[in-house]
Amino acid sequence: MSTTTPTITEPAAPLTEPPREGHRAKAVLALARFETRELLQQIPVLFFFALYVVLIALRLMSKDGMDDFPVLNTVDRRTQATPLLFALALFICANSAALRSRKHGTVQQFGVLTMEPWRRTLAHLLSVVPYAGLTALVVAAEYTREALKPGAIGHGSLGELAVGPLSVLLAGVTGVLLARLLPSSFVPILFVIAVYVLGVLVSGLIDVRQEWVGWLDPIQFFSSGGGDPVPSDLLGRPAGWHALYVTGLCAVLACVALLVAGGRTRAVKAATALALAATAAGAIGQFPGDTSALDAARRTASDSPAKVQSCTTHDGSTYCSFPEWAGVRDDWAEVVDRVRSGAGGTAAEGRLTVRQRVYTDGGVEIDGAIDPSTTPGEVTVGTRWGGNRVPEFAVGVATVLVGGSEDVTTEPMCDARAVTIMWLVLGQDPTPTDTFRNVRLDDSTTGSGVVLAPTNGLSLSGPQTTVIRELLDRPRAEMTARVKAHWTELTSARTTTAQAAKLLGVEVPKEADQCEE
Amino acid sequence: MTTASTGPATLTATDLSLRFGGTRALDGVSLRLTRGVTGLLGPNGAGKTTLLRVLATAVPPDGGAFTALGHDPGTAAGRLALRRTLGYLPQTPGFHPDFTAFGFVDYVAILKELTDRGARLREVRRVLEAVDLSEVRGTRIKRLSGGMRQRVALAAALVGEPDFLVLDEPTVGLDPEQRMRFRELIAQAGEGRTVLLSTHQTEDVAMLCHRVVVLARGRVHFEGTPADLTARAAGRVWSSTERDPNALAGWRTGTGSFRNIGDPPTGAELLAPTLEDGYLLTLDGESAEVTA
Repeated sequence: MSTTTPTITEPAAPLTEPPREGHRAKAVLALARFETRELLQQIPVLFFFALYVVLIALRLMSKDGMDDFPVLNTVDRRTQATPLLFALALFICANSAALRSRKHGTVQQFGVLTMEPWRRTLAHLLSVVPYAGLTALVVAAEYTREALKPGAIGHGSLGELAVGPLSVLLAGVTGVLLARLLPSSFVPILFVIAVYVLGVLVSGLIDVRQEWVGWLDPIQFFSSGGGDPVPSDLLGRPAGWHALYVTGLCAVLACVALLVAGGRTRAVKAATALALAATAAGAIGQFPGDTSALDAARRTASDSPAKVQSCTTHDGSTYCSFPEWAGVRDDWAEVVDRVRSGAGGTAAEGRLTVRQRVYTDGGVEIDGAIDPSTTPGEVTVGTRWGGNRVPEFAVGVATVLVGGSEDVTTEPMCDARAVTIMWLVLGQDPTPTDTFRNVRLDDSTTGSGVVLAPTNGLSLSGPQTTVIRELLDRPRAEMTARVKAHWTELTSARTTTAQAAKLLGVEVPKEADQCEE
Repeated sequence: MTTASTGPATLTATDLSLRFGGTRALDGVSLRLTRGVTGLLGPNGAGKTTLLRVLATAVPPDGGAFTALGHDPGTAAGRLALRRTLGYLPQTPGFHPDFTAFGFVDYVAILKELTDRGARLREVRRVLEAVDLSEVRGTRIKRLSGGMRQRVALAAALVGEPDFLVLDEPTVGLDPEQRMRFRELIAQAGEGRTVLLSTHQTEDVAMLCHRVVVLARGRVHFEGTPADLTARAAGRVWSSTERDPNALAGWRTGTGSFRNIGDPPTGAELLAPTLEDGYLLTLDGESAEVTA
């Protein structure tokens, strides 16, 4: 210890100011900034925020072809669950910060300082707001990155995008409130367990995705149910009301924390009333009410999509989509042109109608197969695009060019047509073997298998697969010419696979062509 | 000892009382403080800490009232106004061990509502320099020694230039050098301010205080200058070769003789009284310590 004589120098200017309310608000903000910095130094907060950002970065950098054509009304919902671990960390750390004085025995010591406990509680509540803001920035960055992709489809919803940041805010506010209600460091863990158990029990009793009560859960986990996206107006998600509900909930919990901490001022009471009203309005607004219009819109989209679609014509073919998908019609046209360029006869000039269709039986975004169109010359295309959906669509186009309509695949094609269809799909493809593997359900290029398509898959027998593989080993121009030259035979149900092989000049498969094998 | 100040009263307490269950911690305490350092002496359980907590507005009294620096803490506005001018160092101050020394004092400064950021940070640096902690201001409190922590607590009490300082046994647990340094700091802090210093150390009072209050069993037994308290023992301290059984207290000194206080026998060798003698005589059986 130094032995120099201590000196208490006088401060340069008076430090205490008149106790104006504005001055006191500044003090609360100063404390909130202090607490925000303290939270930033907590390892769980840092770690889980870094993890959150890394997960987003990895997702944005993923190379799945369908990621080039993000459907923005699913991208917005995908932002909601990712920050939950970060929210959990903030919940624990905000709780711990609010309990700090109690834990370290400074409650009475600080109790005689000017700032009352309820103002300190307000500062703790405000200290988590920047983390919600930070989450909003990450969500905005993620969404903007997806929305700026040339293939981005449709639009997202601000209400959906708000849920991620609001869940972080809600977690922080809940942490502070719990510290005021049940001041024990065990409570946050018990609370998390209780919420989890309650969630499991409730979801076991009701289908929260289908029931209105499910919307009372502030955090809506995104699960598409395996189905393809649908137009935004068919979702029937009260995103704006839900965002209002969660915002109101954050405000209510914050006000309760202030009231418990002794802040029974008129302003806090008024804010509590306002927050309760907002929460109630949000909760009621989420109630689906009369869904007949929505059900009718879904039925129309599913059964008579032409009524709600717009179309463009390209090179004789017509491309019809829901308005949000207008931007991908050119990509469909490219595929149609490529497939048609390998066709012969009248098919080479065939005029197709590409019709976008969705499956809405029993709800939206649930896994369900679209029935093949029975309309001659009509090709079905789904709402996902890019990646494997491109060759799958090509299979649909080729099927209609060869068979006249999609429903020809209802029964297995034990003849040359399957070979011709696959040649049209693969003959002009830059990486045909990889595409062949990818488009088959079993990811192989040997034996029998099913080839995926927007509606019914195409069954391939072993010999058909063998012939297709043989074709891919030959010069493409020569094979294309032969296909065009023998177009009539190759598109006839009476031509066998073996005959097709002979016509095309490839080795005839030794095994028998039995579709049932 | 600081220059005696007998100016106008800055704190006036009348008939303060406080009961914890069946225990009467304060029993009609009335006192008057002026600017300068006032020592509060008393045995364990005398009610010193309770009195300080009442005057620091940590707990309201059951009865009686006080005003400090013109503010009445009985009202919310008065309490707030008093807290704006108050520095309180409790007997066992708590710390947030993960905070740095600077962070902790800054935190307290914010709780004192020093909102001008630049001025606040300068003030925090100033008080840390005053308690000689500038070099460790970035060190987490959990890594500081006990003496350093005590100085952090003093810095936290001093931050914001409070006009009224309440210090509850600030020198307990400090080594002699640290205690001396604390005395210097408290003496400086007492210049122009009202400082109420609770202590077991009569030396602290003798060196620092212009006034002293002796408290026992929740009641004020003496209020005056240290010289007045010392004078109470004039003619009542004597030396003997054996402990005088009639003495209120007696103990063997370094020279081997006994120092007795009480009513001396005729012809006893009287000794010059000290503040401690006066204090012990004032308690006069109020504390077990006196006759130990």
